[in-house]
Amino acid sequence: MSSPDEAVVTTDTQGGDDRDVNALAEEADNTSLSMESITDGKNERGIPVVKFIEDISAFADLFTPEASAELLIGAFSDLFSKFKAYEQNLSQKRQTFQEKIPEIEKSLALVSHLKKKKEKGESVVTRYNLADTIYTKAELDCNAGIVNLWLGANVMLEYTYDEAIELLSSKLENAKKEYEETTKDLAFTRNQIITAEVNISRIYNWDIRKKRASNS
Amino acid sequence: MSGQGGMLAPEEENDAEVRLGDQENINKFGRLNARLYEVRGERDDLKKKLERIDDASTELMMGSGDRVMLLLGDAFFECTEEEATEHCEAEVERFQSTVDELEEEEGRILTEQEELKKLLYARFGKSINLEDK
Repeated sequence: MSSPDEAVVTTDTQGGDDRDVNALAEEADNTSLSMESITDGKNERGIPVVKFIEDISAFADLFTPEASAELLIGAFSDLFSKFKAYEQNLSQKRQTFQEKIPEIEKSLALVSHLKKKKEKGESVVTRYNLADTIYTKAELDCNAGIVNLWLGANVMLEYTYDEAIELLSSKLENAKKEYEETTKDLAFTRNQIITAEVNISRIYNWDIRKKRASNS
Repeated sequence: MSGQGGMLAPEEENDAEVRLGDQENINKFGRLNARLYEVRGERDDLKKKLERIDDASTELMMGSGDRVMLLLGDAFFECTEEEATEHCEAEVERFQSTVDELEEEEGRILTEQEELKKLLYARFGKSINLEDK
């Protein structure tokens, strides 16, 4: 199965794992194995799809010179690390949404409460956070029907109750949608990670069997 | 599932090749596992919240007088005992129904995982590990 070219590169076919780093680097320079060969394009969200290898020997034969197990494992490990980093990134994003969404829900509940009070014609007595450890009493006349909302970037805008409810509801919807998207991306990325891992174990096993067969 | 469990003896080795269908089953199992942990985390969170509201309702019932402080967002609102109790009951209903949904989902995930385990262990025997540590 090994081509004459491989004999030039390998120094010792017995203990494949203790090959020179140099020999491996040389092989990496000479091979036609690339990122495109081990991915199947991208999914509709732009995430690369890890190629599932049906037959490892046939796959290794596709490259000139024939790719060694170390090279294949190296390539997949690279891909694996990239995906792991991306998974971290997505997890963080998802975490942020998990915090933001309850915040928006709380504000929405508050404004709805004020609106209800206005409709009943009642005033509200509240204790609000004046400073870190101090709350102060305030009486709200709900008839004005106005709230101010933080929009971020040190900007605060005045809204009527209805406008505020509309804005907060749409913000909530968007946040929930993006949370869903991020969750799906995360699941897809995890799939690719598992596929890459399984590929790596299989290539390793294939290599061991090959060596065992050539030794016996 | 990633690389634990040391080497197998030669007679324990399994020669079954991993086909695309197997890979997809493995991926599915991994996804379900991740979702299982999330579902359990969410459900435990909600259970804690339910406990706290329960304590609050009990306090309310035993409480004296009329003016109760209700926390909405970051500010406290004065309201009557009835309003506060109403609010608590609404929250309890909301949380409880979500908890029920989550528990149902947990049951579904566990059943699916059992099916997949049967398939994958039949294919790969000891070469695969699908247990929780």
